[in-house]
Amino acid sequence: MQALRDILDRVHPLFVKGGILEKAYPMYEALDTFLYTPGETTKRVTHVRDGIDLKRMMSMVVLSLIPVTLFGMWNAGYQANNAITKMAAAGQDYSLDWHHTIHSAFGFGHDPTSFLDNFVYGAIHFLPIYIVCMFVGGHIELVFSVLRGHEINEGFLVTGLLFPLTLPASIPLWQVAIGIAFGVIVAKEVFGGTGRNFLNVALTARAFLYFAYAEQISGNQVWTAVDGFSGATALGQMAVAEGGAVASLSSIQYPWGDGSMSLLSAFVGTIQGSIGETSALLCIVGAAILIATGIGSWKIMAGVVGGTVVTTLLMNAFDFGTNPMMAVPFYWHLCIGGLAFGLVFMATDPVSASMTETGKWIYGGLIGFMTILIRVVNPAFPEGIMLAILFGNVFAPLIDYFVIEANIKRRAARYAAT
Amino acid sequence: MSLWKTKTFAHGVHPPEAKEDTRGMPIRQFPFAPVLVIPLAIQVGRPSRPTVSEGQEVIRGQRIADPDGFLSIAMHAPASGIVRRIGLAPSISGRMTEAIFIEPFAGSTQEGVLGDACDLEQATPEAIVEAIRSAGIVGLGGAGFPTHAKLRIPEGKSVDTVMINGAECEPYLTADHRVMLEQADDIVRGIRYLLKASGGREAVVAVEANKPDAAAAIRAVLPPELPIRVEVLKVKYPQGAEKMLIESLLGREVPSRGLPLDVGVLCFNAASTAEVGRLLSQGGGLLDRVVTVGGPAVKRKGNYRVPLGTPLRFLLEQVETSDDLATVFLGGPMMGQAVSSLDIPIGKGTTGVIALTGEETARLGGRPEAPCIRCGYCLDACPIFLNPSHLESLAAAGQHQTMAESHHLMDCFECGCCTYVCPSHIPLVQHFRVAKAAVRKAAAT
Repeated sequence: MQALRDILDRVHPLFVKGGILEKAYPMYEALDTFLYTPGETTKRVTHVRDGIDLKRMMSMVVLSLIPVTLFGMWNAGYQANNAITKMAAAGQDYSLDWHHTIHSAFGFGHDPTSFLDNFVYGAIHFLPIYIVCMFVGGHIELVFSVLRGHEINEGFLVTGLLFPLTLPASIPLWQVAIGIAFGVIVAKEVFGGTGRNFLNVALTARAFLYFAYAEQISGNQVWTAVDGFSGATALGQMAVAEGGAVASLSSIQYPWGDGSMSLLSAFVGTIQGSIGETSALLCIVGAAILIATGIGSWKIMAGVVGGTVVTTLLMNAFDFGTNPMMAVPFYWHLCIGGLAFGLVFMATDPVSASMTETGKWIYGGLIGFMTILIRVVNPAFPEGIMLAILFGNVFAPLIDYFVIEANIKRRAARYAAT
Repeated sequence: MSLWKTKTFAHGVHPPEAKEDTRGMPIRQFPFAPVLVIPLAIQVGRPSRPTVSEGQEVIRGQRIADPDGFLSIAMHAPASGIVRRIGLAPSISGRMTEAIFIEPFAGSTQEGVLGDACDLEQATPEAIVEAIRSAGIVGLGGAGFPTHAKLRIPEGKSVDTVMINGAECEPYLTADHRVMLEQADDIVRGIRYLLKASGGREAVVAVEANKPDAAAAIRAVLPPELPIRVEVLKVKYPQGAEKMLIESLLGREVPSRGLPLDVGVLCFNAASTAEVGRLLSQGGGLLDRVVTVGGPAVKRKGNYRVPLGTPLRFLLEQVETSDDLATVFLGGPMMGQAVSSLDIPIGKGTTGVIALTGEETARLGGRPEAPCIRCGYCLDACPIFLNPSHLESLAAAGQHQTMAESHHLMDCFECGCCTYVCPSHIPLVQHFRVAKAAVRKAAAT
């Protein structure tokens, strides 16, 4: 390591002001701080600081995402292998792409009961998405930090993991690249970079893909990474189900096993969906890490859950049988789709969320309310959490403003009274 | 009183206490430096007028400067010696200020002269206030506001509670803790003077829960017939800020831009109270103060009764410091100021001298700044419910007036909680100090 340190020290003059590579200083700095803790000191107040810092916060978020990521990889493979097995048995047509070529080159098969077969096949789908996302997004960040002459922040490590987790495993890689480029440039960099974005970057990227290339991110064809396989997600099925709502719930088709989806499988996450969103259970694990370390706001999470539950109960109360979604109970809503993932990892993004304590409750409640509203009454969008969070992001500053104004009014009233 | 019932305020932070090294160290007398530097100015008001001239011999305790104006106080010679010079000396503010340089006689027994005592039973409130001014007593908790000026209560205001601040919430500092343990009698006597001078009905001594022995020591000497009680507070920073103390103990909120007096309270630091009790009953002026000398770079840490005017350089030589001494600051690490020169003397407001090694400086505060991610930690930390994050974005844009007019900048008392918690290491409080100074300057012109 000392040799590397020497090299870094030797090239340092090239990058400082006046050096020939002055413009590339952020690159040098990023490499340097990645390898070594910087040694600058401050002599200003406050002379002691809390142990928390941005790097540690971002690492904790990544850590809290690891359970859903690992499970997501396994589940992507599990869904695909089930589909392959089932379709092969039924003699249906399906085709496999380069993922399968790599998979079989390493000697793995498509047995859905084999942990390794599932995990490796899922990883072969997830990792290219992740790598493309990090490569494209990371380089855009690099270019902007060089142009602006500021340091590269760790924030992208989080965005770069969140975005792939919200995508179906079958997403074309070029769309991943376009999506993340749109997210980073339009949602973040044009507003001034880290800390200045008013929309969640990963969700903006996903929303762009959703509206620009709807075919690859919605519908029935994409959720299992086998070309030719058609299977709607639970939400998709609910949205089109006919007849009584309770009947529609028990008749949600589960492509494998006995054919109907249990609440337990929806909770554990062995269902179709975007890579990271299926397991409510592991989202709870992530939430526990975020809350215990004080990084994710429990108030926002509780606000979303509260908003969801209250809105769902209202919907249930006004269910006249015209819309099967009206009767779906809240525990189903919380377990299916991206609601759990979104409320734990997306809604709590501090940059785009409300800041005031009261505001966090309102912001969370609004997201829960909007999610259910979109899911239930808008037949065009079976899933609502993505748009609900973006909607909440837009309103977050306004919520903060009114909370503060209300505080000022209350205080004025208190002084007038004394 | 059990820990979970201790009184406290909302928000605030929990920095590491770092008090273990010195809390058990009894107060020891510090030797006289070869030259003592007595600045004529205190933090507020006009500088005192010197009553001695260069070359004159002075006796320990002799008055060397008279008050000049309402906020000004008397000064006394901390040692018998000769006035070498009256001229400019460096100060903590970074400016040079007028000071009296006294060279103590090497072989002197340093027996001092005492002035007239102020009899508690017979003195009028006005006489007590004047005696406090003559003794040169200021707030020894760091603010350095003259004690007599607090006691001159304006028309229309009245005091019901006198609060004695023994919270000492800054990390490292244990000077007040030792004073409360060793001078409990003086403190109680001081409270009686202060109650009489202010017309207050009762007095409350506030001690943080990490100093149960100090609370017990004062309780042990409290005469039961007096309206004085000792309250134990939760350990939290900035518990010792007077507005927080009033909120914790009395549940009263000092209005924005207001003073404790607006809610019928006067706050005095525990060490100041002890000096009031000691000096008024025996006569004489404030000649020294108890200072915590600590921090990882100090070899002989402890609590010392240091003669006023002792230069930092001499003090640090006496206690010995490690070779990689990097930062020295006066007061605690949260609000204390790093010194630019070791020729700065110990003043009446110096609660502690903390020295850090280079390694410690880097570990405790030396991390590079990153952009604000609106995490809101500073909002949760700010004890007066400001929005430091928003203030910071205004400060970056140079909108100091907007900060003051719409965002209550001037209510910030620079406790540093926001800076302590900021994960992006933005020196928020530093920027607010700059902004406050700019606003004051604009208001003055």
